[in-house]
Amino acid sequence: MRIVFEKRERVSHTVRVLVPVISLVFALVFGAVLLLFSGVSPGAAYAAMARGAFGSSRALAETFVKAIPLMLTGLAVAVAFRMLFWNIGAEGQLAMGGLTAAGVALFASEGLPSWSVLPITILAGTLAGALWAAIPAALRAYLGVNEVITTLMMNYVAILLVSHMYHGPWRDPAGYGFPGTARLPETAWLPRLYGRAHLGLFFAVVAAVVLWFVLQRTKWGFELRIVGENPEAARYIGIDIPRLMLVAMLVSGGLAGLAGVCEVTGVMRRLQQGLTVGHGYTAIIVAWLAQLNPWAVLLVGFLLAGLLVGGDQIQMAMGLPAAVGLVLQGALLFPMLGGALFTEYRLRIVRTATEDFRTPEETGLEEAGS
Amino acid sequence: MSRRLWGSVGFLVVLALMVGACAPPATPEPTEPPVEEEIAEEDLPVRAAFVYISPPGDLGWTYEHDRGRLMLEDELGDLVETAYMEDVDEGPDAARVIRQYAQEGWDVIFTTSFGYMEDTYEVAEEFPDVVFEHCSGYMTRENMSTYFGRIYQPRYLSGLVAGAMTEENLIGYVAAFPIPEVIRGINAFTLGVRSVNPEAEVRVVWTNTWYDPVVEREAAEALLDQGADIIAQHQDTTEPQKAAEERGMLSIGYNSDMRQFVGDSVLTSPQWNWGTYYVDTVQDIIDGTWRTSQFWGDLESGVVMLAEMSPLVPDELRQQVETERERILNTDWDVFCGPIADQDGDEAVADGVCLSDEEMLNMDWFVEGVIGEPG
Amino acid sequence: MLFLAEGIVGQKMTVGESQEPLLRMVGITKRFPGVVANDHVDLELYQGEVLALLGENGAGKSTLMNVLNGLYRADEGSIYVRGERVGIRSPRDAYELGIGMVHQNFMLVETMTVAENVVLGLRDLSFRLDLGGVKRRLQELGEQYGLKVDPDAYIWQLSVGEQQRVEILKLLYRDVDVLILDEPTAVLTPQEVDDLVEVLRRVIGDGKAAVFITHKLREVMKFADRVTVLRDGKNVATRLTRETSPDALARLMVGREVLFRVEKTACEPGDAVLEVDSLRALDDKGLPALRGVSLTVRAGEIVGIAGVAGNGQRELAEVITGLRQAMGGEVYVSQERMTNCRPLRAIRSGVAHIPEDRIGMGLVGDMSVAENLALKAYRDSAFSRGPVLHPEGMRRFAEELIDGFAIVTPRAETRVKFLSGGNLQKTILARELTACEGLLVAVHPTRGLDVGATEAVRAQLLEERDRGTAVLLISEDLDELLEVADRIAVMFEGQIVGTRKTDDAGRDEIGLMMAGDGMEKEGMAT
Repeated sequence: MRIVFEKRERVSHTVRVLVPVISLVFALVFGAVLLLFSGVSPGAAYAAMARGAFGSSRALAETFVKAIPLMLTGLAVAVAFRMLFWNIGAEGQLAMGGLTAAGVALFASEGLPSWSVLPITILAGTLAGALWAAIPAALRAYLGVNEVITTLMMNYVAILLVSHMYHGPWRDPAGYGFPGTARLPETAWLPRLYGRAHLGLFFAVVAAVVLWFVLQRTKWGFELRIVGENPEAARYIGIDIPRLMLVAMLVSGGLAGLAGVCEVTGVMRRLQQGLTVGHGYTAIIVAWLAQLNPWAVLLVGFLLAGLLVGGDQIQMAMGLPAAVGLVLQGALLFPMLGGALFTEYRLRIVRTATEDFRTPEETGLEEAGS
Repeated sequence: MSRRLWGSVGFLVVLALMVGACAPPATPEPTEPPVEEEIAEEDLPVRAAFVYISPPGDLGWTYEHDRGRLMLEDELGDLVETAYMEDVDEGPDAARVIRQYAQEGWDVIFTTSFGYMEDTYEVAEEFPDVVFEHCSGYMTRENMSTYFGRIYQPRYLSGLVAGAMTEENLIGYVAAFPIPEVIRGINAFTLGVRSVNPEAEVRVVWTNTWYDPVVEREAAEALLDQGADIIAQHQDTTEPQKAAEERGMLSIGYNSDMRQFVGDSVLTSPQWNWGTYYVDTVQDIIDGTWRTSQFWGDLESGVVMLAEMSPLVPDELRQQVETERERILNTDWDVFCGPIADQDGDEAVADGVCLSDEEMLNMDWFVEGVIGEPG
Repeated sequence: MLFLAEGIVGQKMTVGESQEPLLRMVGITKRFPGVVANDHVDLELYQGEVLALLGENGAGKSTLMNVLNGLYRADEGSIYVRGERVGIRSPRDAYELGIGMVHQNFMLVETMTVAENVVLGLRDLSFRLDLGGVKRRLQELGEQYGLKVDPDAYIWQLSVGEQQRVEILKLLYRDVDVLILDEPTAVLTPQEVDDLVEVLRRVIGDGKAAVFITHKLREVMKFADRVTVLRDGKNVATRLTRETSPDALARLMVGREVLFRVEKTACEPGDAVLEVDSLRALDDKGLPALRGVSLTVRAGEIVGIAGVAGNGQRELAEVITGLRQAMGGEVYVSQERMTNCRPLRAIRSGVAHIPEDRIGMGLVGDMSVAENLALKAYRDSAFSRGPVLHPEGMRRFAEELIDGFAIVTPRAETRVKFLSGGNLQKTILARELTACEGLLVAVHPTRGLDVGATEAVRAQLLEERDRGTAVLLISEDLDELLEVADRIAVMFEGQIVGTRKTDDAGRDEIGLMMAGDGMEKEGMAT
């Protein structure tokens, strides 16, 4: 007997649904064991988590606040990954989007008609994210520079630039020297829907719908899929891969930039510490779990946000240290990520020839032919 | 872990109002005088929640707050129930955690990092029945107070020790960010140093981080390489102290009594001691006498103090420090009373004049004897 | 030589069925996801014989041999060596039992010498490497079996045929009794094939035995004493070669009557469509692959490019279709200068391209048959309204092509990777021929296809020619070129060393040119 790991011939819908469900169950059991070791009832802990994330309209609003940047950056990463561009730079693109939004709202909104301030702010921030992403895209497309390195490095540049701006030139003069800009003018505030949940949710949903349509039903999406599935074939049928890459990264960076705009105009309403807290990296997990499907990105983004928000409850309600919450989140994510493998692969138990002794007579050996 | 408190306080109501003008339209100030009413029996215990920027650990900024929380539990016993959330990022996460506490019916929420200010304020607007206490900021509401401490006073006293004990007449100062709180501390320390040793100078290195063991150590090493024989700091780890100890040099700690962790080479440490404030605040809530305030506690309040000195500090020096302490406690004199010269030797504070709180809170210049750029 | 071979076979026959086989595989079953590659296959190999393992692509030949060599493990069945039941879990186990394999892709380290490659992976090496001894032994073996290779030569300096000799030497050095050769002739010129036959005869004369995998009937008749035919993973028959005929074997292999001749009318060439002048280009490693190739293909003619793989054929096709940069020279299609144009420009000028690597380049495995058929046509207005694709139009188009080219697929939406090799090629052919206006570049269009599919593809190429298309056919199958092409140009080391009208071409002469002999450097005659 031997266990082999082999690729599935085709992935049925049952498998697609069943695998995540089983992974989730496994994840919960795994997490429960961890909780038991910490001396806490898993049932109570999970209930507290669920309550904290989805239990009330306020909790739900908070989960959405967390979910919005995850959804937008998740979509951003998914677009790039679709064409095998490993954009690790959503974090930096988000930072540039937020930075530009804050800059426009604070220093360029004067004299503009008040209705136009928010749209211009959003547009500028989105554009900034897009352009920031265009740099590594162009380097990769035309010079072959590895984008994993460049996007990652540019994150540091962006994050430090943001930090420099609110520590230095853009520091609120009325803020006792504390780092952070002044509050954005109210005309640049992103309207809130409920609690702190803001219009960014609408942007995320619209972005997902548009992306889905574009990927499934347009020439451009068709080309993107071809490049993602087989770059050699894409070249062969005459797709201009460098240009496509540039456009895809403009979209990707724009979405990440929009996430930054939403954080700054919808949640923080000023630029200060706390804009770059790793959403751009979590987005990679979101996109991966969602298998780059825009609808699934929304769903996964929301659930992951619930996990993060609910995780606070482990501390708050159970009185456990923060580390246990983090470990639990990891423990829950791990089987989910691992499980994704089983949509494409399966385990099979086979009998091996060497252990299966049979005499030649039994197999009915005879000389074939003459 | 680049985040950390942003300390300093808007003390003057006038100033707070000025800032309030930038804030969203504030809810109208209450017109009826608050009624003093003791909290009802069935509402006890008072539930007090704390939001921390980092895990408490064994020492440092958050550790000192947590020590205060434990003292609160000790002193008030059944009258109070406490909880805390550690390692909460400034920004959107903080707002959520503060809101969750408010929502779940906690009576008072202490938020202990400067970066929580906005979010605390915003949640305070939403939950007018909950008391909010923000450490080191300047925004207040009818249900939101600020609290901080005049750590510059013990820093000045620690400067006396350093100034008397340096042999090279060069003291290194590992400092986080060039903001008024830190600059004020450096100035107070330097004034202390120069009052006993006009020859000595204080060299500043900015790390641009509150918490980074590696960077802090590197900064300290660099200062030692330049000939400093005492290292002072405004950071959140003991690395600068350890670096000095390993070279056989001396140091001045901060936040906690670092001598207990590093050894007697740490001559003393300006230290936080929040317990009394927490006990008083919760007691006020129980008594129904809590009012919004901006608390900037001095040596007398006990919120700031100088940790016990190392055996290496000679007795006459201890006496000298004690005399200065008495002077702060018992006279009108404070650290920033003239004459004080700035880095260029020009008069910054005239004889007989003392800096106002507002001036101290906006301090962006170095006194004479500091080597380095204030920003 | 002939006498020796006959002698061995004769000896075996006289000893008769009572002789213990050197090797027996019994009831071997190997399943892959969705396929039973070997379904209770039996095989016997006697001392002193060459056994051909014949079958179409996908019949399970390589799988069976990989089981024998320890690369795969059978799900069922057993293996006996000299009558003893054995378990083979790795190629190393196989070596120890005296079984060794020469793979289609050689397993040699290019930057090491012949001698070093031979000792690579040996288990019982002494601490101090005695390369001198190794070289002496190699020399002996070389003389004994007619395998002359310089032990100090680096692999990269050797021709493909010489590299194959190194692989065989490697096995002889390890003293194996059973040599397995996987499609050994694919990379050889006709003359090298003859050399290989000679070597094998000497090897089995020494009491060893050899199995070689092939799908070429001509080689079976030339090489083997006996032949075992596999079809769809099952044993079909085992025959003595002298008692069978190519026709009979073809029937066994394909399972039906096979035509060997495609109807071909005389060619009536028109204007020049493709003109290539002094073309130079580099290969993927940056080494010169084309060193001044000139050639013309006219409307209504098929020009075949013959040559051993790796002499610049692939690069030639890629430069013409815009996939590779030319370093010098010119390409004209229908009088238009196309040198270093983008692939899209070539496509728009009606250049169709059947690429060498079907799944790697010609198709997108995880996309549907319909989408693959539309890979080039999706840009047309019939498939889209502005930027939005029109799935209905795409499906209608797909269904027409599936019918027209007899592509066997469950549905148009089936992922193309689930189709068989022949249907993959038909899918590409359908797409390319539909898009073709003027020039078709076909690279190894029948490689790996079964006899039926091969016939169909060849007929389609001729049909396309008769419609007035200029066809550049690159193939390593000389028979195919002789059958289909109107003219044959031979490529050797990035140059065209000669061109012959097919009717005048002698097989042997072309074979010599493929080996670089008789270099008559000429600009390609028009």
